[in-house]
Amino acid sequence: MSQEPPDLEPLAEAPSDEVQRGQRERLLAAWKTPTGWRSWSAVNNTSIGRWYMMAAFCFFLFGGVLALLMRIQLAVPNNTFLSAERYNQVFTMHGTVMMFLFAIPMFEAFSIFVLPQMLGARDLPFPRLSAFGFWSYALGGTFFCASLLFNAAPRGGWFMYPPLTTRYQPGIGADFWLLGLSFIEVAAIAAAVELIVGVLKCRPPGMRLNLIPLYAWYLLVAAAMILFAFPPVIAGSLLMEVERAFDWPFFDTARGGDPLLWQHLFWLFGHPEVYVIFLPSVAIVAMIVPTVARRAIVGYSWIVLAAVGTGFLSFGLWVHHMFTTGLPGISLGLFSAASEAVAIPTGIQLFCFIATLAAGKVSRSVPMLFVFGGLASFVMGGLTGVMVALAPFDFQAHDTFFIVGHLHYVLIGGSIFPVVGGIYYFYPLFDGKLLSDKLGRATFWLMFTGFHVTFLPMHLTGLRGMPRRVFTFAPGLGFDRANLVSTVGAFILAAGVLVFVWDLLRSKKTQPTCARNPWNSGSLEWLQEMPDKPWGVRSIPEIDRRYPLWDQPNLMRDVDEGRFFLPDAEEGKRETLVTSVIDARPVQCLRVPGPSWIALYAAFFTGGAFITSTFHWWKAALASSVLALGAILYWLWTGTAIIPEKETKDVGLGVTLPLYVSGPASVGWWAMFITMLGDATAFVCLVFGYFYYWTIHQDFARAAAQGPGLLWPLLGGGALVASWALTLLARRANRRDRAALFYASMLSAVALAIAGSCALIAGPSRTGLDPTRHVYPAIVWMLVAWTVFHVGLGVVMQLYCVARRAAGRMTARHDIDAANVSLYWHFTALTAFVTVAVIAGFPRVA
Amino acid sequence: MSPEAPDDESNQSLWFVVAAPLCWAAHFLVSYATVAVWCERYAGRDGSLYQARVAVAAYTAAALGGIGLIALAAWRRYQHGGGTEAFDADTPLGRHRFIGSATLLLSALSAVATAYSALTVVFIRDCH
Amino acid sequence: MCSPAARSRTLLAALALGAAACRGPQSALDPAGRGADRIATLFTIMAVGAAVVWLAMVALTVFAVRVHAAPRVERRTALFILGGGALVPTVVLTALLVYGLALLPELVAPAPAGSLRVAVTGEQWWWRVRYPGPDGRTVELANEVHLPLGQAADLRLDSADVIHSFWIPSLGGKLDMFPGRTSRLALWPTRAGRYRGVCAEYCGASHALMAFAVVVEPRAALDRWLAHQSEPARPPTTPLGARGAALFLADGCGACHAVRGTPAAGTLGPDLTHVGSRHGLGAATLPNDAGTFARWITHPESLKPGVHMPAFGMLPPADVRALAAYLEELQ
Repeated sequence: MSQEPPDLEPLAEAPSDEVQRGQRERLLAAWKTPTGWRSWSAVNNTSIGRWYMMAAFCFFLFGGVLALLMRIQLAVPNNTFLSAERYNQVFTMHGTVMMFLFAIPMFEAFSIFVLPQMLGARDLPFPRLSAFGFWSYALGGTFFCASLLFNAAPRGGWFMYPPLTTRYQPGIGADFWLLGLSFIEVAAIAAAVELIVGVLKCRPPGMRLNLIPLYAWYLLVAAAMILFAFPPVIAGSLLMEVERAFDWPFFDTARGGDPLLWQHLFWLFGHPEVYVIFLPSVAIVAMIVPTVARRAIVGYSWIVLAAVGTGFLSFGLWVHHMFTTGLPGISLGLFSAASEAVAIPTGIQLFCFIATLAAGKVSRSVPMLFVFGGLASFVMGGLTGVMVALAPFDFQAHDTFFIVGHLHYVLIGGSIFPVVGGIYYFYPLFDGKLLSDKLGRATFWLMFTGFHVTFLPMHLTGLRGMPRRVFTFAPGLGFDRANLVSTVGAFILAAGVLVFVWDLLRSKKTQPTCARNPWNSGSLEWLQEMPDKPWGVRSIPEIDRRYPLWDQPNLMRDVDEGRFFLPDAEEGKRETLVTSVIDARPVQCLRVPGPSWIALYAAFFTGGAFITSTFHWWKAALASSVLALGAILYWLWTGTAIIPEKETKDVGLGVTLPLYVSGPASVGWWAMFITMLGDATAFVCLVFGYFYYWTIHQDFARAAAQGPGLLWPLLGGGALVASWALTLLARRANRRDRAALFYASMLSAVALAIAGSCALIAGPSRTGLDPTRHVYPAIVWMLVAWTVFHVGLGVVMQLYCVARRAAGRMTARHDIDAANVSLYWHFTALTAFVTVAVIAGFPRVA
Repeated sequence: MSPEAPDDESNQSLWFVVAAPLCWAAHFLVSYATVAVWCERYAGRDGSLYQARVAVAAYTAAALGGIGLIALAAWRRYQHGGGTEAFDADTPLGRHRFIGSATLLLSALSAVATAYSALTVVFIRDCH
Repeated sequence: MCSPAARSRTLLAALALGAAACRGPQSALDPAGRGADRIATLFTIMAVGAAVVWLAMVALTVFAVRVHAAPRVERRTALFILGGGALVPTVVLTALLVYGLALLPELVAPAPAGSLRVAVTGEQWWWRVRYPGPDGRTVELANEVHLPLGQAADLRLDSADVIHSFWIPSLGGKLDMFPGRTSRLALWPTRAGRYRGVCAEYCGASHALMAFAVVVEPRAALDRWLAHQSEPARPPTTPLGARGAALFLADGCGACHAVRGTPAAGTLGPDLTHVGSRHGLGAATLPNDAGTFARWITHPESLKPGVHMPAFGMLPPADVRALAAYLEELQ
């Protein structure tokens, strides 16, 4: 297609009232939220988003209470309010809960809730995946927090440095951290996949890349960052859990391991994580600022540059958390350089906001107050960030209260204030009511005052020599007064949070429902009716402007009267539009699933596997994994790649779209591709581990002389690559409807995959590599195990395709399953190839 | 159809936007790997960094060259069609110029970040 | 006392941080060493710069809210973003980065050959310190480091268990201590006095209670001190002390602790040969007196949670008094 079709205009005439009434009834029936106890089976983004946000907020309050406990303990020197071990549990939990259970989930939750509204979509492409992510998170988070009640909480710090956590802290605290959080990280990646596909493929027709709301740009960057930032910590957790459970010495120096590898993997996650939290909060600011300035944002491309640039640069900062580990100065310098460079895009964003405010006419409101307060605080955190990014200054500041002050300025100023401001701003979307202006101001001033009183003195305490993570301090060293002031401030801050909670919880029954678009904003989410309807948008509009509600005349009327796309649900199905990545041309009418318990079951069984592993109940863990796999297969079998009753559908305005597409045109293919990018990142981290050991330890190369040899790895790799080729052949055979060839090649692919896995295992086992003896056999075994596990999943998928075809659920034309499974096998073949090249090939060339 | 023609969506790619930062990332990773492996395995912690510094200088030239080419292509897009169409215009040309401008700005940022990395080897001459 | 230079820095720091006072045996703002001095100057410059930038940003924002610019300002706002958001920060950050990178080689360079070499091993939760003695043999001490005034000290740092971090804020930056790896830190004290060092890396239950005393003194004084420390323990002179010495061996203290010149030669815990002369007990967190010795022997857990030393609360009080007297006499 090289000719741009003209823009579609809404219907000139509204359908008759009777037609509209019928459309509304059918839409309502299709999108009805289940009631009573069944409401927990809902999967629609508005339900899941609400629960997700409420859960994240509860974890925030829990983390806040932990902070107050710490501040009470540190109010005076030599305090005995908390014992040393209790305090160590509390600070570990505070950091972990705030980062993993509040900050990231809150932004994902909020995005799940609001993204479809911003994009004029009816739902996200994979509602059940959102539900699965939410239930996993709720279960994993509750389980993790409960460990504190049983005095079994982790106490190794949120950064969990070995060997303290691997060998010097008995008990299962660290297992709670490793397994509980890995489970939640998987859920976070699931949400990221969903949000990326949402931004790229579920925009309204006409919303070209240059017209998408800034929130969506930020979200795209943040979600992509999750995809590459979380796998390193998952890989690291895997190594650490295997060391704890099976004594494979990845971090034990006595057997060739190295505790610094954990620090690399952890901070390769940990630093981008800060920006994953920060960017969505700036995104909220980028939505509020134009509204209060009553004009379009100034410097749209600059902000996009800043978001993308920050996303990249933030991956070049991780070693600045390791400036004092004794790495060569040249390494410190490189990371210092990137850490300074990342300040540039941040400055650009702030200037865009200031320019917008200057060019507009600012109306004062509670959200704006939070935006100002947040930015003023964040700038201070950013400036101290520029300081600690210089390695020389960090030699003094590192691991002191200066850093505690700095990071809270960044996270509270850059994230909490904008998020609370965002809740004041977006609250009408949740509830159809406005929050109280008076309470909002009280909240702001209490929080703002308390925040600065708490954290400003910490810079001084730190430079006077107070290290972090201390359960007490001696009197007379110059810390006494500043610590007392911080404690007082923490309670003022907590009072502000309490007022906010009261504003959220107070009964608003007598309060009138607020007007539609109460802030007179220009972006699409404010199309929402008050109170909202389950269908999201009445009809999906064609977009011509960045601020459609300001610049597209009669948009709200046209949407409400069903003059745009998909105004009806003739077949009683939930439908939304899929569009192209660059120019958002409609390409498919996507049917999304409705309420179901299966996501919940799958989450509980998956969670069960992780939870029972924490206690090393391996049999229960195995049983739970099998049940989880069964639930997921049932879910896929009954809920995905459903062959529609007709090929195409008229979506309105003379556009006819297919109901079923496969391959790169389908959202499922993109989800698989994005998931596998994350998965491949984790694998790359394991390979990095191999080369890291080789770099650090001269004896690593000598150890490599023992195995796994050439023969078995090459046989295994060859068989797996052949299995991949046969899978592709099977896909082609299916497309040409040659059933016999399809079954023959797919089943031989299964056989070859199993044979290849066995050969791969034979390599290290026949050469007698014992993974508990030295880190070399351990990392070889780990790479083999990773590959075999993926091949195992691949075999399940190959057999799934065979079954689908046999059951008539996959045909020559309807081949989503075969397309996605071949995509998975591209990655698996690559994994197998790299594994063989590393374990068998590298020792020969090194 | 020339690759810069804005109308055909299939010629457009988001990868173009991230090409310049990818150059920075490659330069950064390769430089880091070079100096780290050099100091740990070859020169020793008291050794000279000379060869590694030469290598980083070469990487820097390559990366800045790559970023320059990307910036040039971005500049052409930015100037496409006389360079007057607004970035927020609902036309393929508006989108085309927007991608050009965002890519151009990212190239500038990537060039600065790459130069920052290269500054390191100006000041640090050994493996201490 | 603050030096005049440090005092002017203090004023500036007060400007930036809203609080005055830099003194303290553990303050990075009251430098007594070359590294700490360089870093404090760097901080002062950055703190003033940060204050200026912050005020400018806030002023700009307030101005932006008040003003309502003409509708056609696109060109000017683009210049505003380019200049204020991109060019000015780039120039400032480049200058800062150059300053930081130029400072780095000096701070990470090892001490010149021939410097006094001090080996420190971090252990949960104390410091094993080893000096080369006058006769060439290693002298082992604990929880106290003496450094030569005006000369470089070559610190060799490692760990016996988890990761610790060696930090004397008054003298210079910190460096982590890893098991199985020796890191080198050079410190150049410039002002005589007593300072305090701490562990800066979270290392378990009693991380907060892991400090050490630092004494900076002229090389001659240091050599005298070292000569004294390298001598074997003097036999106790009081009858109570003598009884304590006997009990020390009889109760098995020597299994973990060494007192040179006696059969006690344990290496698990700190060397106690001259423990009575140290500036503090329990890794410089408690006063050095007989009462503390007694409490430590009977209830170490109450003074240092998680401590590896078993409690000897079952000893008769008279024995504990004797042991404490003996230890106090180990000057």
